[in-house]
Amino acid sequence: MLRVSIQVQGNDVDLSAIRDGTAKATESGIAHADLLLAFAEALVAHDEPELAKLRGPLIETVGPDGFLEAATVAANFQRMVRIADSTGIPQDAPVMALAGDVIDDLGLRSFPSANNTPAVGLLQRILGRVFRPFAARLMTAAANRMAAGSK
Amino acid sequence: MTELTPQATSFDYTDAPVQVRDDIVEAHERAWDRLRRPGNWWTGAERIEIAAEIRNALECDLCRERKAALSPFSVTGKHHHTAQHIDEVAVDAVHRIVTDATRLTEDWVRKIAAGGLTDGHYVELLGVVVAVLSIDELHRGLGIDLPSLPEPAPGDPTQERPAGLASGTAWVPMLTLRGVSKGPNADLFRGLPVAPNVIAAMSLVPDAVRQLEDLSHAYYVPTLQVANPSYQGRALDRSQIELIAGRVSALNECFY
Repeated sequence: MLRVSIQVQGNDVDLSAIRDGTAKATESGIAHADLLLAFAEALVAHDEPELAKLRGPLIETVGPDGFLEAATVAANFQRMVRIADSTGIPQDAPVMALAGDVIDDLGLRSFPSANNTPAVGLLQRILGRVFRPFAARLMTAAANRMAAGSK
Repeated sequence: MTELTPQATSFDYTDAPVQVRDDIVEAHERAWDRLRRPGNWWTGAERIEIAAEIRNALECDLCRERKAALSPFSVTGKHHHTAQHIDEVAVDAVHRIVTDATRLTEDWVRKIAAGGLTDGHYVELLGVVVAVLSIDELHRGLGIDLPSLPEPAPGDPTQERPAGLASGTAWVPMLTLRGVSKGPNADLFRGLPVAPNVIAAMSLVPDAVRQLEDLSHAYYVPTLQVANPSYQGRALDRSQIELIAGRVSALNECFY
């Protein structure tokens, strides 16, 4: 999702910040990545002195609403990771097909919970490569259709 | 339905560094109301003890030792806990989910089931843990005191197991889109063309999924917009949101 959301903005994609954190914030090309990453890292580490240092600058940079969202999104994923890892769910097949290369590049297979997801097959890899350039447009269209259908 | 006495609100954001949106406060209040009521497998008092153990786990020496060990199953001992209504197996499950979820295994889930923590008990326990933990994490992010836990409501668990469960995808049975297409749980995957595994994961206890969707809607993006990379309903843009999401997942060594 990070890759396609960057593609939507027409920017180059460098996801190394996911693995390396603030050290690669600039390479991500995402606005205020350094502060957002530092805040997420401090929250996961429960590093209150660091969080206290970051709150003011983050509010100043992304605004009060943006700061609140940084906190809610980090809190949200503290929940989601535990659901996934406590139930042993595999990654969804379409995500694996589209993001198999990212998973390899970032070395995510080294995580213990990667054992819950089988490796991507050749056909999935090929399909992923074919659909990747259109992923952002297809996903946006599908989501808009779902949202319209729910009204 | 048991008549419930109204609860004084546990959520006060006057000390928060920014204004907390009303939809977030309302989601918290609904979460606390669900927390204190009996579920499918646990009483209200038990559910609140599960919630209390989330906080104890972060102060637990055994959990710290386990986290540092090569294998989390090689270190034994007593957890730092205050539980009176839930047993040691349940306490251990809460502490492991909070402090070292990435190293849980299917074998362990089978073993705790043999020890009395059935798959239904386990999934409901997980639902309580992740809901309360995420609310606590938001409070830590804001730099304000954690909310006090609610008083339990009386009543017995329903012991209801939903129809349409399928095994084989995860360590616990899950509902499928087809399995809930009609009936009381048809709302769980409403509008979705496929049921993402992380949404279906706790569907053995349908209210745990409803709780998840309620909080995710307020904390992240609406369920039907999760797969939309162009969604613009927040102050942060989608790439900023996903950067945080990805980094938190990586720090937790979560492959999903």
